[in-house]
Amino acid sequence: MDYIDYYKILDLKKDATTEDIKKAYRKLARKHHPDLNPNNEEANKKFQQINEANEVLSDPEKRKKYDKYGKDWQHADQLDAQQQQQRQYQSQGQSYGGSSYSGGFGGEDFSDFFSSMFGGGGRSSRNSPFKGQDYSAELQLNLLDAYTTHKQTLTVNGKQVRITIPAGVENGQKIKLPGYGAPGVNNGPPGDLYIKFNISDHPKFKRKGNDIYIQEEIDLYTAILGGEKIVETLNGKVKLKVPEGTQPDTTLRLKGKGFPVYKKENQFGDLYIKWQVKIPTNLNAEQKELFEKLSKS
Amino acid sequence: METYLIPVEDICAYHHVEINFIHSLEDFGLIQTTIKKQSVFLPVDELTKLEQYLRLANDLQINLEGIHAVSHLLNQLQNMQQQITVLQNELNYYRQLNHQP
Repeated sequence: MDYIDYYKILDLKKDATTEDIKKAYRKLARKHHPDLNPNNEEANKKFQQINEANEVLSDPEKRKKYDKYGKDWQHADQLDAQQQQQRQYQSQGQSYGGSSYSGGFGGEDFSDFFSSMFGGGGRSSRNSPFKGQDYSAELQLNLLDAYTTHKQTLTVNGKQVRITIPAGVENGQKIKLPGYGAPGVNNGPPGDLYIKFNISDHPKFKRKGNDIYIQEEIDLYTAILGGEKIVETLNGKVKLKVPEGTQPDTTLRLKGKGFPVYKKENQFGDLYIKWQVKIPTNLNAEQKELFEKLSKS
Repeated sequence: METYLIPVEDICAYHHVEINFIHSLEDFGLIQTTIKKQSVFLPVDELTKLEQYLRLANDLQINLEGIHAVSHLLNQLQNMQQQITVLQNELNYYRQLNHQP
């Protein structure tokens, strides 16, 4: 991981006082706190960086090490010991044949410190509890999936989470599953899991809120003379009466045949059916004659 | 449906918080507790809210009046986000209509 300048994160100069650090931290924490920026990953990340910077700079011991060793401040004690040993060798006039420090403490990232505070290991010396990191996931559904309450299993960060998706969920809607995020640190509460639903469009059923809109074709004769038409709805087929003299684009409403209302049992929107009158083409001579007779009658 | 209740005493011990803080939150209408057999309980649904208020108080030193205002604004924000989603879906419906032959 690249070197992170804690002073820069808190917008401070190297000679900042403890009070300056406190002020800068509070100012930025108020701006980026995850509770004040729900569903904002960027703010969440920024807040974690601010916390990390504050953890180090507000502790005089850690700050001293950070100022001296920068990236490798966490290994300051080992580095100091090594340097002291080296000095001893030199002062004793012995040739230094031991292994020299190559900057490779197992290739650990500087920001492991931060991850230990937010859901990772346990290297942080601070004992205050932290809430675990929130997770976000997206779930693709089709319109018919969203029509019924059903259970689905998701894999989030390697763990299987079984969730119940309530009927009537909206496209783009987010639900929060408290406690399904990363585990907390120092007995802090676990983070939350946010799931966003992406509902794909249906070629026939168009959804507007809880109402469904469809277009159905009827032939000219049914439109003129009246008749019956079987129409497919989201919960089965219905037989509809087409009144005599039905005009093109006439819209019919079927109450309660639309989409279920989210988290309201037995409440449904309406189904709107627009009749599209199909005009016959390729008429034969006899049919044309009949239409001509009709037009003159 | 059965509501699970958590003894407020346990919450206070776990979060190292004074019971007065919980009472104050209730006075502000931010949480609702239940009394059963002379003990105070918090419905489990209210726990997430309570923990959020505790974080706001501890992490940001926001007082109760501030928490009240923040909570109100966050509710408004959430409602507006929901409204945006509904409107986006409605807009999508009209866009689809326009693209139909």
